[in-house]
Amino acid sequence: MTEHVLSEQVEEPASLGAGRSLWQDAWLRLRSNRAAVASALVLLLLALAGFIGPWLVPHSYDQIYPQYVRVPASLEAYPKQDRIVPDFQSALERARITIGDVELSGSVVRAPVSDDEPLDPRITRYVDRSDLFDNARLQDADGNPLAEGASSGFMVADVQRLRFLFGTDANGRDLLARILIGIRISLAIGLLASFMALALGVTYGAIAGYFGGRIDNVMMRVVDVLYSLPFIFFVILLVVFFGRSFVLIFIAIGFTEWLDMARIVRGQTLTIKRQEYVQAAEAMGVSSAGILKRHVIPNTLGPVVVFVTLLVPKAILLESLLSFLGLGVQEPLTSLGLLIAEGASNMRGAAWLLLYPAVTLTVILFALNFLGDGLRDALDPKDR
Amino acid sequence: MAGEKVLSLRGLTVDFATPDGWVQAVRGVDLDVARGETVALVGESGSGKSQTMMAIMGLLASNGRAGGSALYRGQEMIGLPERRLNRIRGEKITMIFQEPMTSLDPLYRIGRQIAEPILHHRGGSRAAARQRVLELLELVGIPQPERRIDSYPHELSGGQRQRVMIAMALANDPDILIADEPTTALDVTIQAQILTLLAELQEKIGMAIVFITHDLGIVRRLADRVYVMKTGEVVEQGETGPLFAAPTHPYTRMLLEAEPTGRKAPPNPEAPRLLSGRDIGVHFSLGRSWGGEEALLKAVDGVSVTLRRKQTIGIVGESGSGKSTLGRALLRLLPASGSLEFKNQDISHADRARMRPLRRQLQLVFQDPFGSLSPRMTVGQVITEGLIVHEKDLSKSERDRRAIAAMREVGLDPAMRNRYPHEFSGGQRQRIAIARALILKPEVMVLDEPTSALDRSVQKQIVDLLRDLQEAHDLSYIFISHDLAVVRAMADYIIVMRHGQIVEEGPAEEIFEAPRAAYTQALLAAAVDNRRFRTAVQEAAK
Repeated sequence: MTEHVLSEQVEEPASLGAGRSLWQDAWLRLRSNRAAVASALVLLLLALAGFIGPWLVPHSYDQIYPQYVRVPASLEAYPKQDRIVPDFQSALERARITIGDVELSGSVVRAPVSDDEPLDPRITRYVDRSDLFDNARLQDADGNPLAEGASSGFMVADVQRLRFLFGTDANGRDLLARILIGIRISLAIGLLASFMALALGVTYGAIAGYFGGRIDNVMMRVVDVLYSLPFIFFVILLVVFFGRSFVLIFIAIGFTEWLDMARIVRGQTLTIKRQEYVQAAEAMGVSSAGILKRHVIPNTLGPVVVFVTLLVPKAILLESLLSFLGLGVQEPLTSLGLLIAEGASNMRGAAWLLLYPAVTLTVILFALNFLGDGLRDALDPKDR
Repeated sequence: MAGEKVLSLRGLTVDFATPDGWVQAVRGVDLDVARGETVALVGESGSGKSQTMMAIMGLLASNGRAGGSALYRGQEMIGLPERRLNRIRGEKITMIFQEPMTSLDPLYRIGRQIAEPILHHRGGSRAAARQRVLELLELVGIPQPERRIDSYPHELSGGQRQRVMIAMALANDPDILIADEPTTALDVTIQAQILTLLAELQEKIGMAIVFITHDLGIVRRLADRVYVMKTGEVVEQGETGPLFAAPTHPYTRMLLEAEPTGRKAPPNPEAPRLLSGRDIGVHFSLGRSWGGEEALLKAVDGVSVTLRRKQTIGIVGESGSGKSTLGRALLRLLPASGSLEFKNQDISHADRARMRPLRRQLQLVFQDPFGSLSPRMTVGQVITEGLIVHEKDLSKSERDRRAIAAMREVGLDPAMRNRYPHEFSGGQRQRIAIARALILKPEVMVLDEPTSALDRSVQKQIVDLLRDLQEAHDLSYIFISHDLAVVRAMADYIIVMRHGQIVEEGPAEEIFEAPRAAYTQALLAAAVDNRRFRTAVQEAAK
């Protein structure tokens, strides 16, 4: 009962005087930065595209269309109009029957066929065998199934219309679907690796910086040693031991990127440690863990948030590098880096294979960098 | 007003863009400066006195804009293109700033920094410029100018750096020198020297000086005319003498009377000893040369202090005297040698864990009310942090209730406890810091320059608050300050420190009335010099 009465007394003034925290201030500043807001929207759209896009695209990222290898990007549906009639004719010619004029209406092709003998219904297989046509059937003039023993009628088949907005790759897979899945993988690796670097780096750096002295020395020398490991060598080692996998990539990237984070946070901590509010907490007898949790880490977060937004594109680039070198994700799964690598090897004949993934990656990186810049200005307006 | 006007402001305004819209910092200031006169711009922090001058110099922050008119010898300065402005500023109108530590570039020798404006505005050879720099250094009273011209800023003391800044400002024989709180960051004895220097230089060179300050003592000594500013407006102006003798505006009167008054009676001599340190020493290692001796900085060297219940010990000294270090050493926040006793319990070697239960009885309040509150916590969280440590089983609502009580006690509206520190003024923040210490019901509080960063009128309030709290809770204070007026109002026992050692100690009355040590006498003389008139004025007012 008393508890209740007390909390009621408390509620009232609280609503009167809710203040604006530094985070809210930063948010207001960020919102007035058009480039940053636009970048955030672009990122949101791309993230949505990566997340739900693959379900909306009619093709699966690993479905192969052998007859459509390396077709260029086009708004028109495949097969192209001018290819349907000759293909239909050549398919029918194999049946050794007499063919009249082929007519195309919508997604249905129709040709009068006749023969000296009664038409064998099995000749539809010649048409079905082609990847362009489906559901081939023999009909009479009224569109009813052809009566048995008739020697003339119409061969009708549905045309499978496929759209490849971004074209297909060298294996005949839809590039759009692959780019969407690539966005998903790249963003996921970027975020996960950055998160890992964040968690490791902030904890490690704050502890080293706060305790200082010998602890700091030992901890930072460990960082120096890890720094001296060549990244690619480290990744190759990991791949050799554990095999190629998605998890391994972000672990590898996170494991190398947390070193920068640890150094940044340690530097920040060294200056924060000398702030009077930390000394005040010490004088009050707050434990080291309490000081780290309540004072040091929240006050390092400004620069850390900025670094993370710049770390995400870095992680995406590193993943691209690994995939480009063949150490990254495995086919048929793909990432933007892998797509660019494939595009690079097909550059001459099929420029779109390089162009679309590269543009996507560039847009992502631009947006992340703009957002990072905006965040820095918002969180640290003094530095402008 | 005699002489030709060199600077005249009419309806000058300064606005700043904030997320909540434009905020007016200066609201239509009219001001005239005649050739060779000294004009003082007086006001508390936030009154817009600095921004007025920044607007003339085109030095406003990027979100600021100036309006109105500022004529320098008939030339409009507001909205002047940067290139033409540069022909005036730095040559005809120059500025010196408050912080001599940061206004010199640490990478260049001072000779080069002084020569830069000369070469820029006058041209000529480097050798000629160097000759001029030597003259200037001589003029501002830097000893051995031939040697000092090749020094880096960090090799000079604060007072010498301010002299270098003045030399830079004088390099091109300016018409107007704007001095923005040029002595605030300096010790009293150095302050007096710099002020004397400025007065002498004006006599020799004949430039006008615009003096921006909150210290009325300086105004009285230097200024011919005074403009008193409050919240962006000039509330009163006039010749220094008459204005100070008969201030008409209540704000001016408040500024003049804002000196902390009252004395503290010494405690009962039988009162129990709370905290005593014997032979306290704090040494910092300056590093060891190869195979050589370890160089030691003796920040505190063999100091003994005894604090009794309800006593206030004032520790006085200039910067670098070790007074703050001593305060922290007494709370065992720094490793120190010597023996330390709290309530007859030896704590000389107590470790962190053993100190923790004692911490709530030994509290510390800092000088800088901006730095001592974590910017990411609400005021309520800041105040109750100690309770989380020392009274772990308090419920959240109980903690909140205690915070409300503590805020009421220091004169803050408890409804504001969900706000963040940056939304409070300096005085309010200092109250928050006091509430944070008070909520733990301490017995000893070390107050490390708690009033130095505050305006005079706020200082007075904080001093009154601290005294009331002492009465109400039987607190004992160790009051560290370089401001003798405040110390006198707070302390019943004074320790004067210099170079880490005690120069003189004794009951407050004794020290102030009959100082024995030459250093104490010098310290008092420098402070009183600035202040003598004020008592006279107050006397006259009665």
